[in-house]
Amino acid sequence: MAHPALDVLLKGSSGRSTRGLLRIIILCTIAAAAVSSRLFSVIRFESIIHEFDPWFNFRATKYLVQNGFYSFWDWFDDRTWHPLGRVTGGTLYPGLMVTSGVIYHVMRFLTFPVDIRNICVLLAPAFSGLTALAMYLLTSEMTTSPSAGLLAAAFMGITPGYISRSVAGSYDNEAIAIFLLVFTFFLWIKAVKNGSIMWGALTALFYGYMVSAWGGYVFITNLIPLHIFVLLCMGRYSSRLYISYTTWYALGTLASMQIPFVGFLPIRNSDHMSALGVFGLIQLVAFAEFVRGFLPGKQFQRLLTSMVLITFGLGFGMLVLLSVSGVIAPWSGRFYSLWDTAYAKVHIPIIASVSEHQPTAWPAFFFDLNFLIWLFPAGVYLCFQKLKDEHVFVVIYAVLSSYFAGVMVRLMLTLTPIVCVAAALALSAILDNFLVISAPTPPAKTDTNKSDKVKKPIGIYSYFSKTFVTCSAVLYLLIFVAHCTWVTSNAYSSPSVVLASKLPDGSQYIIDDYREAYYWLRQNTPDNAKIMSWWDYGYQIGGMADRPTLVDNNTWNNTHIATVGKAMSSREEVSYPILRQHDVDYVLVVFGGLLGYSGDDLNKFLWMVRIAEGIWPDEVSEREFFTARGEYRVDDEATPAMKNSLMYKMSYHNYQNLFPPGQAADRVRGTKLPADTPQLNTLDEAFTSENWIIRIYKVKDLDNFGRDHSSAVAFDKGHKKKRAAKKKGPRVLRTE
Amino acid sequence: MKLWTAWLFLLSIVSVVAQSSSDAKLEKFQALSHSGPVELDAAAFDELTSKPRDYYAAVILTARDVRYGCAMCREFQPEWELISRSWNRGDKPDGLNVVFGTLDFDQGRMVFQKLMLQSAPVLLLFPPTSGPFAKVEEGPLRFDFTGPLTADQLYSWINRHLPEGPKPPLVRPVNYMRIVSAVTILMGVVTLFTVLSPYVLPVVQNRNLWAAVSLIAILLFTSGQMFNHIRKVPYVAGDGRGGISYFAGGFQNQYGMETQIVAAMYAVLSFATIALAVKVPQMEDVKGQQLAVLIWGGVLFGMYSFLLSVFKTKNGGYPFFLPPF
Repeated sequence: MAHPALDVLLKGSSGRSTRGLLRIIILCTIAAAAVSSRLFSVIRFESIIHEFDPWFNFRATKYLVQNGFYSFWDWFDDRTWHPLGRVTGGTLYPGLMVTSGVIYHVMRFLTFPVDIRNICVLLAPAFSGLTALAMYLLTSEMTTSPSAGLLAAAFMGITPGYISRSVAGSYDNEAIAIFLLVFTFFLWIKAVKNGSIMWGALTALFYGYMVSAWGGYVFITNLIPLHIFVLLCMGRYSSRLYISYTTWYALGTLASMQIPFVGFLPIRNSDHMSALGVFGLIQLVAFAEFVRGFLPGKQFQRLLTSMVLITFGLGFGMLVLLSVSGVIAPWSGRFYSLWDTAYAKVHIPIIASVSEHQPTAWPAFFFDLNFLIWLFPAGVYLCFQKLKDEHVFVVIYAVLSSYFAGVMVRLMLTLTPIVCVAAALALSAILDNFLVISAPTPPAKTDTNKSDKVKKPIGIYSYFSKTFVTCSAVLYLLIFVAHCTWVTSNAYSSPSVVLASKLPDGSQYIIDDYREAYYWLRQNTPDNAKIMSWWDYGYQIGGMADRPTLVDNNTWNNTHIATVGKAMSSREEVSYPILRQHDVDYVLVVFGGLLGYSGDDLNKFLWMVRIAEGIWPDEVSEREFFTARGEYRVDDEATPAMKNSLMYKMSYHNYQNLFPPGQAADRVRGTKLPADTPQLNTLDEAFTSENWIIRIYKVKDLDNFGRDHSSAVAFDKGHKKKRAAKKKGPRVLRTE
Repeated sequence: MKLWTAWLFLLSIVSVVAQSSSDAKLEKFQALSHSGPVELDAAAFDELTSKPRDYYAAVILTARDVRYGCAMCREFQPEWELISRSWNRGDKPDGLNVVFGTLDFDQGRMVFQKLMLQSAPVLLLFPPTSGPFAKVEEGPLRFDFTGPLTADQLYSWINRHLPEGPKPPLVRPVNYMRIVSAVTILMGVVTLFTVLSPYVLPVVQNRNLWAAVSLIAILLFTSGQMFNHIRKVPYVAGDGRGGISYFAGGFQNQYGMETQIVAAMYAVLSFATIALAVKVPQMEDVKGQQLAVLIWGGVLFGMYSFLLSVFKTKNGGYPFFLPPF
């Protein structure tokens, strides 16, 4: 049937090498596609670091490259969290920076003059290519089908769920962490299958790398013990499990403790206790297995039962005792909020305030995974059919991570790999059956003894069926590719530092207010001018303007953040002393009212109030920012607390003068504004960017005559319109 | 300013005169309370809050009757009793007295009207007008309930407005009943399991059961069930024309029923996939197989097309679709 010339290539040993070559070519193409679909933002805008956290990583990487590894390790950063500073070297995951540092030095060694910024921008796409390869390896371990791995690699390469965190410029821990996650799981499956110390040690090695790169390593720390635990419960203990697990646990824990930020957490924190518990359990089970060889069945059973009960009771008691006495730290807040979904909202507003910690609505799943989302359960079902050790892993991973992804949007990232594996298993099961050209011969009808339970698939008879299913599968795949490209291009490729909008004639209009303002700060303020802003912008100010900040996106000190929140949400008379006490020179606010940019500070304002209220419930009250009807308003009916707050005044200062009298409107909140512009006494407007997105105010010095600022301003104004000032001005200005 | 002092002076004279009556009032209400909050009516409320008083009066104005449909009022009642009991039984600083009272709408319609209250529950804290802790400022402090609340949160609010000093801690009574019943149930389950293990074990070890449970869990989670649980979304909503709208507008919204429909769609799609991947190739009958492929492939195609159209309604700019829908 086949052409004789093709036979030479497709059969025998040369056939095998042809297939190998094809496979390598396909994988390289997938990696290239994965990289290139992440380059939208570089092409549209420029090679620029995105968003917020990446700016810190970029700054840290520059520090590492300039000062070397050891001073990076000991880095005390006095330009953040003024006046506290931050022990940066000991409070970050260094994996990402070290990776790009190494790449930088290797490139230099090879005499490629690359800029460190370009390495940082392109690190995530490069690693996504590697992730696709790791995905191929992982999926190939799950099945004998030759196509599943390639499908999984292709899915992983372009699925938006992963692209969302790995476009060019998104220089964040997740950029390399997902590769490490997938690769660690591949090594783990390998270790379990072979029961080899080498694979176990490799797992530990990459686990150590993962720990150095991302806080999400806890997911691995809990998933692997859970896998072992479930296998033990299923009665599948074997020396393979023992060897691989003990090797991984011992070496992996030691490796993870080398990171200063993690330190002794692996033996003291509840997040890590399940790994330790399973380590103890597997010792006991191994001992029981050993004893079983010497004892008769009945006695052994009794011994085993009593031993299990005693150890379980003892272990549980110890855990409770140690937790109560404080030797073992309780669950960390972020981890805890995964289980008790109401916890964060009540106890840690700062965690609840982050948009990526919100629960996931169903459209987000479909948006990020497209048709993989319904292939996913089918693939899990296929795993149940075979249910070898590695398939148990897939099932556990699938159930757990879909729960996590449902609770927190950002954990969609950990769900994506397993969805790709399961979906590839399901789709390849279909394609492997329907893509065989030769029709099977129907089995003889007389063969009625069905002693073997698992029926062997026979095959598909008609060409029509094959064509129909294959064509529709190809159609779904094409839609998937189009969907991924569309989502990536529309949703995930905005640097959020530079905004793009369309003019009426269809041409692109770049809104570059952030960089304009940060550059203004860099050029026009003294080198150590302290900038106060809401914590979202701390990393950007540090990275782009190179000025000290009060708070930034590393939200380690809730009280300090609440102080900023209080300064923003209080009256000027309260705020000014706070600003003075913290040496603040400039205050930066983000205001989207002119442009209709909804991510501005007034929309985040309630979180500032809430966080401040958590620390000073007497002085700041969320209720006061809502009208009697419970509305959040900025117009004439805004509450006095709202109108007098520093944030409100800074946002709308002079804004009314842009419009004809009485016409001022806020385009984000869609309301008209009061006719008069708010009166600012203690701050001077220093800079407002082109589209008014960033407004910077200079904190006034103390008055020369020792007056308070309100009376000084009233005096200055009073010469001209004393009457008018007397009528309405003084009420706001009067103090003790 | 001078006038002000004079007025204060006058007030203090009045309060000294009235001291004895104030003491009597306090004793009366303390006798009434039995360590729980005092049930007030309009007259008792006026008496309790009348000047002079040398005690704090914390009164919750509530509407507990089912008719008023105030779930928060009913839910908070045991917590309120807990606060009152903790305070009355604990160690207090000398001379600091707080009377806890409950005024129900049924008994105190007049008071609600007088205070112009539109909503319940509301907590009013009346500071003393005489005695060592007397406050100058007029009028009670008001606490509005903005959402469900625990006793601890309200108690800390009250404490903030009381004078400095040690206060009795909030003591939740140990629920012995619950511990005993939990232990009993646990032992019952263990016994049941031991006795029934020959029958239960095959079920527990049943692979299909576990597969079903896992798949249902995955379908629920990926269709946004946790979002419903956390955000407490409505099950369905009207479309304003008398019917119901099954799908919420907008990308970040959903209804309870919507997620169930989506989960059902995913389930149908997955099942069709499983049928095509596993069952169809095992069929021996040539015609039957052809038919099965047609049916399952058709179901898959139609359902996916419908899913895409639903997604298009949620996300207006979405450009992709499949023919039928």
